[in-house]
Amino acid sequence: MQMRGWVVVAVAGLLVVSSGCKKRPKPGQAGVDNVGGVVGSDLYGEGADMLGDRFAGGEEVRGQFTAVYFDYDSSQIKDSERSKIDAVASHLQSAGTANLVVEGNADERGSNEYNLALGERRALAIRAYLVGLGIDGNRITTKSLGEEQPVVMGHDEESWSQNRRGEFVLIQ
Amino acid sequence: MKNWLGCMVLAGGLVATAGAQVVVTKGAGQKTGLDLSAFQASPTAGAALFRKTLEADLVRSGWFSLTPAGRGELVVQGQCAESGGSINAGIYVLHATTRQSYLGKNYPAPVADARRLAHRAADDIIFAVTGRKGLNSGRLVVVGNRTKKKELYLCDADGGGLVQLTQDRSISLAPRWSPDGKTIVYTSYLRGFPDVYSIDVGSGSRRVVASFPGLNTGGAVSPGGREMALILSRTGNPELFVKGGGGLTKLTATTQAAEASPAWSPDGSRIVYVSDQAGTPQLYMISRSGGRAQRLTSRGSENVAPDWGANGWIAFSSKLGGRYQICIMNPDTQEIRQLTADGTDYEDPAWAPDGRHIACARTAGYRSSIYLVDTMGDPPIPLLDASGDWFSPSWAP
Repeated sequence: MQMRGWVVVAVAGLLVVSSGCKKRPKPGQAGVDNVGGVVGSDLYGEGADMLGDRFAGGEEVRGQFTAVYFDYDSSQIKDSERSKIDAVASHLQSAGTANLVVEGNADERGSNEYNLALGERRALAIRAYLVGLGIDGNRITTKSLGEEQPVVMGHDEESWSQNRRGEFVLIQ
Repeated sequence: MKNWLGCMVLAGGLVATAGAQVVVTKGAGQKTGLDLSAFQASPTAGAALFRKTLEADLVRSGWFSLTPAGRGELVVQGQCAESGGSINAGIYVLHATTRQSYLGKNYPAPVADARRLAHRAADDIIFAVTGRKGLNSGRLVVVGNRTKKKELYLCDADGGGLVQLTQDRSISLAPRWSPDGKTIVYTSYLRGFPDVYSIDVGSGSRRVVASFPGLNTGGAVSPGGREMALILSRTGNPELFVKGGGGLTKLTATTQAAEASPAWSPDGSRIVYVSDQAGTPQLYMISRSGGRAQRLTSRGSENVAPDWGANGWIAFSSKLGGRYQICIMNPDTQEIRQLTADGTDYEDPAWAPDGRHIACARTAGYRSSIYLVDTMGDPPIPLLDASGDWFSPSWAP
């Protein structure tokens, strides 16, 4: 309860900071021909792809789409996973107002903090793919959970392969 | 490994000594024989706890071995008495043959503080004899999951005095003390997304440090206390930033790579961090004002979780032969020493205030606990092994 005050202040501060420097990705910057990784950019460079603000509210719908799986220590979107993201894009195109949280996850192996960054890159790779399919980047926010939310608790490749994943949460 | 490592450590000045102090100096792997048999504790709970804690602390320091009566190079005399809810210890440390006095001091405290008092007395003895700061009065923050959620906990250097600091029922990660010892910076999902918070250890009050779109983590306050290193993905990819002086400065621009785990050099001029820009996570070093990063590691398939000690050495976790081991590196000479080598995983090293030991998370049989690793060859010993799993230690300065 005591935190409510500063949360509001922080969010207000964020809006001030990030509005104005937001820029849309250029067409063709990311897409089906360019899924080697995240299309990041230099803060001071051309075509800065600042992430949009987090969404203020809405109903969370989880589990409507299939998880996207990744290879070990990789954020490349595999051919086998593309149709899953295409389905998400189709839905977003038809549901004009819904927003999307892409959650990036890693398996338990390796540094906890590095896995946070790896999970974020996986989420950003999915976001870049969706943007390449024509979805407005401001409708998609990313959330890395690192190795903190495994879906399978085992300690073998079978489990790890299911934990290296991106998940979709619709906000409508 | 034990002997040459110790030689390197002493020769390289890894552990700082006091200036004009007459100190007992030993070579690699050698310990000073300490005769505690003449130190009497009254048969009460508080006094007995004081003595037991003092003895364990002196052994843990690595500088002493306890000897039978009459066999020590140094003698501890005095007594610990208990009455009316208080204990009072008089401690006298002498050289057994020359009778040189190293310490003569009284330690009074309420019985409830017997352990803390013993930690203070032990560090006074260590300083008086070796000229070096002890680790026993140190305090750690660690991540624990005993409530099924990852929360921050505080404990003493011997794992005692364990208290839960956060009760967020969220995920709390990557705690690091600020240099003034008053606040801890950490990453939490309190608001659903990974944000960086600062918590005041005394009052428990918190504030948001970084809450940008995407990932906010890796918060580490600079030695001068005015700046903070952060890992943020607000510009579209996780990058290393420095916050301070009225703004954010982005130090890396690796659009095809992830950065993680920043740690400041003792003088605040440089930052060591993890990047996978070469394909696997490795350590890099960059000036606080940016510029070209220098790759520090190549041996091992992964080198992660750096902590830059006040002694100038960087402790980190290196994946060697499929296991994570603790190594230390002199960043100027790039000399590397491996400190652990058993069949378990050692991760997340944090330099202890004595500049000799390192706390880290050790995982064996899928259970993780906090261990103390010695840079001078003593075997790793458990520091915090309470129920649950324990991760990510950081020592108060």
